[in-house]
Amino acid sequence: MVSLKNVALSTVQCTLLGLFPVCAKDVTFNRDIRPIFTKHCTACHGGVKEAGGISLVFHERILQEGESGNIAVVPGKPETSELIKRVKSKDPDYVMPQPKHGPALAASEIALLEQWISQGANWEEHWSFVNPREIIISDLKNEKWPTQPLDRFVLHGIEAAGLAPSAEAEPSEWLRRVSFDLIGLPPSVELLDQFSEEIKTNPAQAHAQVVDELLASPAYGERWATVWLDLARFADTYGFEKDPHRDIWPYRDWVVRAFNQDMPYDQFTIEQLAGDLLPQPTADQLLATAFHRNTQTNSEGGTDDEEFRVAAVIDRISTVWTTWQATTFGCVQCHSHPYDPIKHEEFYEFMAFFNQTEDTDLNDDFPKMRLANDPGKRDQLVQLVQENKNLRDALNASAKDLAQSEWKLLDEMELKPEHGTMHVADGGFIISEGTLPFGSTHRVSGKAPAINALRLSILPKNPDPKTWPEMGALVTQLIVEKISATGERGQVSMADVIADHLVGPFDPLSVLAGDGAGEKFKKYQSPASWNGGPDVGAVGGVGEFPKLFGPRWFVFVPDERLDLADGERIEISMRQDARAGESQGTHLRRFKIEVSTSDAWQAMIRDPGRKENWAAFDARREQIDGIQAMEVPIMRERATVGSRETRAFIRGNRITKDQLVTAGVPELLQGSFPQDKPATRLDMARWIASDENPLTARVMINRLWGQLFGHGIVETMEDFGTSGTLPTDLALLDHLALRFENENAWSVKKALREMVLSSTYRQTHRVSKELLEKDPNNRLLARGPRNRLGGEMIRDQALAVSGLLSPKLFGPPVFPPQPKGVWGSVYSGASWNESTGEDRFRRGLYTYTKRTSGFPGFLTFDAPSRDVCSARRIVSNTPLQALITMNDPAHLEAAAALATRMKAQSQDLREQIAFGALASTQKAFDAAMLDELIKLHQQLKTTYDASPDEAKKIGDDAPLVIIANTLMNMDAALSK
Amino acid sequence: MKDYLQAELRHASIQHTTRRHFLSKCTTGLGAMWLSTLGEKAWGAGVPLLKDPANPLAPSLSLLPGKAKRVIYLHMAGAPSQHELFDYKPELKKLNGLPCPQEYLEGKQFAFIQGTPRMLGPLYDFKQYGQSGAWVSDLLPHFSTVVDDVCFVKSMHTDQFNHGPAQLLVHTGSQNPGAPSIGAWATYGLGSINQNLPGFIVLTSGGKNPDAGKSVWGSGYLPSVYQGVQCRSEGEPVLYLENPPGVSRDVRRKSLDVLDRLNQKIATETGDPETITRIAQYEMAYRMQMHATDAFDLSRESAATHAMYATEPGKESFANNCLLARRLAERGVRYIQLFDWGWDSHGTDASTSLKEGLAGLCKRIDQPMTALLQDLKQRGMLEDTLVIWGGEFGRTPMQENRGGVESSFIGRDHNPGGFTIWMAGGGVKSGLTYGETDPIGYEAMVDKVSLHDLHATMLSLMGFDHEKLNFPFQGVPQRLTNITKPGTKVIKGLFA
Repeated sequence: MVSLKNVALSTVQCTLLGLFPVCAKDVTFNRDIRPIFTKHCTACHGGVKEAGGISLVFHERILQEGESGNIAVVPGKPETSELIKRVKSKDPDYVMPQPKHGPALAASEIALLEQWISQGANWEEHWSFVNPREIIISDLKNEKWPTQPLDRFVLHGIEAAGLAPSAEAEPSEWLRRVSFDLIGLPPSVELLDQFSEEIKTNPAQAHAQVVDELLASPAYGERWATVWLDLARFADTYGFEKDPHRDIWPYRDWVVRAFNQDMPYDQFTIEQLAGDLLPQPTADQLLATAFHRNTQTNSEGGTDDEEFRVAAVIDRISTVWTTWQATTFGCVQCHSHPYDPIKHEEFYEFMAFFNQTEDTDLNDDFPKMRLANDPGKRDQLVQLVQENKNLRDALNASAKDLAQSEWKLLDEMELKPEHGTMHVADGGFIISEGTLPFGSTHRVSGKAPAINALRLSILPKNPDPKTWPEMGALVTQLIVEKISATGERGQVSMADVIADHLVGPFDPLSVLAGDGAGEKFKKYQSPASWNGGPDVGAVGGVGEFPKLFGPRWFVFVPDERLDLADGERIEISMRQDARAGESQGTHLRRFKIEVSTSDAWQAMIRDPGRKENWAAFDARREQIDGIQAMEVPIMRERATVGSRETRAFIRGNRITKDQLVTAGVPELLQGSFPQDKPATRLDMARWIASDENPLTARVMINRLWGQLFGHGIVETMEDFGTSGTLPTDLALLDHLALRFENENAWSVKKALREMVLSSTYRQTHRVSKELLEKDPNNRLLARGPRNRLGGEMIRDQALAVSGLLSPKLFGPPVFPPQPKGVWGSVYSGASWNESTGEDRFRRGLYTYTKRTSGFPGFLTFDAPSRDVCSARRIVSNTPLQALITMNDPAHLEAAAALATRMKAQSQDLREQIAFGALASTQKAFDAAMLDELIKLHQQLKTTYDASPDEAKKIGDDAPLVIIANTLMNMDAALSK
Repeated sequence: MKDYLQAELRHASIQHTTRRHFLSKCTTGLGAMWLSTLGEKAWGAGVPLLKDPANPLAPSLSLLPGKAKRVIYLHMAGAPSQHELFDYKPELKKLNGLPCPQEYLEGKQFAFIQGTPRMLGPLYDFKQYGQSGAWVSDLLPHFSTVVDDVCFVKSMHTDQFNHGPAQLLVHTGSQNPGAPSIGAWATYGLGSINQNLPGFIVLTSGGKNPDAGKSVWGSGYLPSVYQGVQCRSEGEPVLYLENPPGVSRDVRRKSLDVLDRLNQKIATETGDPETITRIAQYEMAYRMQMHATDAFDLSRESAATHAMYATEPGKESFANNCLLARRLAERGVRYIQLFDWGWDSHGTDASTSLKEGLAGLCKRIDQPMTALLQDLKQRGMLEDTLVIWGGEFGRTPMQENRGGVESSFIGRDHNPGGFTIWMAGGGVKSGLTYGETDPIGYEAMVDKVSLHDLHATMLSLMGFDHEKLNFPFQGVPQRLTNITKPGTKVIKGLFA
């Protein structure tokens, strides 16, 4: 970090640092001081540790007294500032950093600190937390070079370094690059010919035309969806031990469509984060929220569903912050941010946005939307489901006031536990204890003069909310019987169930389902095919499952008023069949049964309006069931009345909870986030997608740039914070970000169009020794980018070049050939059933993504496992990659098909090979290169003529297949 | 390799040195090297490892003198019962059949146990063996003969009680997927001695991958080149290692020669050093084809060796994997990870019962793992090879009563509170029994060792300070011993 140690920075270094096109003599905090703090100080005096009561992360803190009573920084007075005294001290007990923690500061660093304090110790927020500013670049030497506004910034940097841009790339070089960058596929030989011709007459138009065609191609959405799906941690399985299949591919198709339609990025953001909370969401807006249902679900037997619900919520938080804000937020779970000014409690305030969804790590991924198979019916189906939900809520809510009226305990109550023990405690609550197997039944009987309704209240065993949630408590079947004095039993026919609120997979009416009197309620049970069924052991019930988040109550109304004669009793039997995580019974441990004598209940169920509503509800249910649909997990909010508490966790541990928090965004970035009302996930989404957010546009534009140029303007695409790298050119980043938001109205296509048509992008990637030495990693962009293709691109290219590629868009994932035995998940019957027909040759995007066992052809080329959000694939270069492109039968199959194409071109071997080379690399091979291949062909021919049996194993023309395979393994074929 | 290639590689290496030099002189964000790629500033607390992207697996020296040059980790996936193998508790025997006292159940979370289960005494007889007098049950007659070469740690504990998360914790220091495995850290830290084989190899037996899937040998936030390569003892050892049918080694050589020359031309034309690296990687792949095939060819072993390991030619078996582990260790593979599946003795059926099931599993591993230790020792390799055996947690001293009822087979539930592992070689004290559980083998009590402690100790044996072997991710210098779990210590009492 030499340049930071020197007060006088050279122009080149300043430019490389990127923040300041012109070097100032003044010390500035972000450029000169913060790096010293981060390097030497914040490990102990940061957000995590505040040794001696000193934190150098928050401005107000550095001006306050520390525990020693001294003030770290006294503006204008370095000599009285404790910070300076400490760093200059020779006393090993006094000096900072303490010798055991790190080396002493360099004299130049101390000089900078002194100068900074003398100049008033001005504080700046870290660059990325401050809104972008447009800077005008004048005084360029080569005014003719820029073709896009962005070129002015790049050229300014190049010129400041005393360099000049490289020449324009050959048409073939640019065409290959732009084709992969925009659609992830190589250009065809025909397109290359056509473009090479057109560029001679009207270069500007030729370039623009190619770009517009590529942007309009459906393949564009497929290529860019791949980028987004790494962030969305999209996979076709749940993850964890069993890693079973998840039907969430319609979300992948949504992403492809959104890119193809060039959905504005702000809308793209809002729909994925909170589409379900938009007014009357469309099917697509609901589907978009599957973004956050790509979290892992742990279906391993014996797991605690709350542990993995919380893990999913926390994953959503980190994913939002990495994807949209490039801010490392995960560390704030346990303590304040070590470097950036984000406080511990702000993590939980943000968590509150995500803590209210209904999903609870259930094995069937509940809740899901019904997505009609017929795209024309999707919105209609969503609307029907929503109408019925509203109606069901209304039917339930209409009895709430009545439910608050008077209730009394049964007289002469008797408790009959089938297993364990039961006793009545204070307030009439019944406590159940002991070992209870699945299906155990609690029986409570007693007397009452007249019964118009029964109320079941379920409470957590522990009254302290900090210990909630508890294991679920679910009655899976409730039967009320009248017992005569002689012991004869008669089942009481029930009419309705009212719940405090509706949540979870079961309609409360389902608890009454059974034979005889319960027959009419069977239709309210979850279908037997419900995925959770066998594991959960229940298709209906009341209570809460798999976890009890707080007190619940339910009112049961009989068909008629129940009058008990002398000696008659009623008995309430509550069967508890459900099991959480397949293994733990969800029994009632603390509950109460009361009765109401109010006739109003009977009046309510007889109300014609209510009856009509029920009829409408049932009719619509049938209508919904009649529409063929698949189910896709989505985000769905719990009712406000049943909302979960959000509490800070002590040191990030969900078991130890602290104070209650309300939803909010970190103060640092809050902008005009509404403070006057309880904020929702939708407010949060709008805050991210607003022009005011200093990070959103920068992060996305940096991602696009990184895809095109191989590295972002901020190299750490996942971290724009203090611990990330600085932008190589902040002015360029800000210009692009502002243009993205404003002129281009969040259009990704427009942003990309400007980038690929720029003079910067159109430079050749050929590099001289001198330039390589001066700028080995092309940070200045004085040459065009040259990077290895991604794993999916390598496969797609092989298929495209050989003519095998299927153009089919969308649909369920496919299973191209992979070696036997690669899949071997425990407890999973899933097998890799190789696709047939065109599905063998679909783009890589559609290949089945199994989290615990990724597709080897992609993983080896640095694709992430999709367990968690991944903002960047760090490119490696290994022998295992060579083994794939040389030996994978799929690559050989492609080589054979390419050989066939080559032969169809010409009778002449030289022309055949030249065509193959052009198709795989867009390079016109010179005579020497062709000679090499022709010579190889001759050698191979001799070999294979002598062993025709071996030749047959390869194809009709073994030598040419080997030639084709060699061509497709060229560095020029693996790079763009 | 052709002379010109060697010359080019030399050139490339000089160039990379230049790049590195340039980097060290310049500020952040200038290198294509991973170090700078990931933000140099986060290195504050640790020691940056300079890695050459052209040769990321090149052997590097550890920072401190380390005894262990390589590791063989034998993981019994599913979690073997300490009560039936090593952790003999006469007290538990006495309690057999009695209802479990409430104090053992309060505040505990079980995967399957409900209500009040019954205590379950050890199902097998134990004896003391060797000079060290280590306790071993009758299930491991072969292993009982080598206990003086072994160090038992009986006070292991974890905080995860489900297989997936617990296995992740064992191998990555984090219960959630996404952190690098020990093998990835080891190859990142030490590189690989043999450039013709992957530096980190995984072998599985028992018909299944581990519960947590491939994340347990993933590279997490480390560059993907450090991930474990799963090799097979059946079929091609490394995916796509063999030339396709009809392509001989000679044909491959000829086509590679041409490919190298064409790539050389591209390199000259573009000036891209990455192309030179690619040429080198293709040559390495070519060598790997031969070396890996040889390394995995068990037929080269003598009949006596096969008898010693009880290998089963052509099958995927733990015995074969033990012998392969020795062959790979000989060839300089840095980290060899074996998973044997099927140790989840719940007693839901015969195969998972502590009687039939566990006895069969022990028979499967007893002779081969004993042979592995003896073989390493007779070849003089045990002293610098660290061998570790264990599961992801222990099992309860109570009998499982899934669904509130007792099964007709006998099993035990998951128990994170205490379990036994053993270690051998690589600088570990032999003939030692370290730590104790409580009198019923339920909770680690004396000299407790967490998985993070184990990791710190393993790294120390390999020559690394666990606090200093870092990698920047999510804004902080991450480490194997998990920065969110303070208080991790190197267990020096285990050192020879």
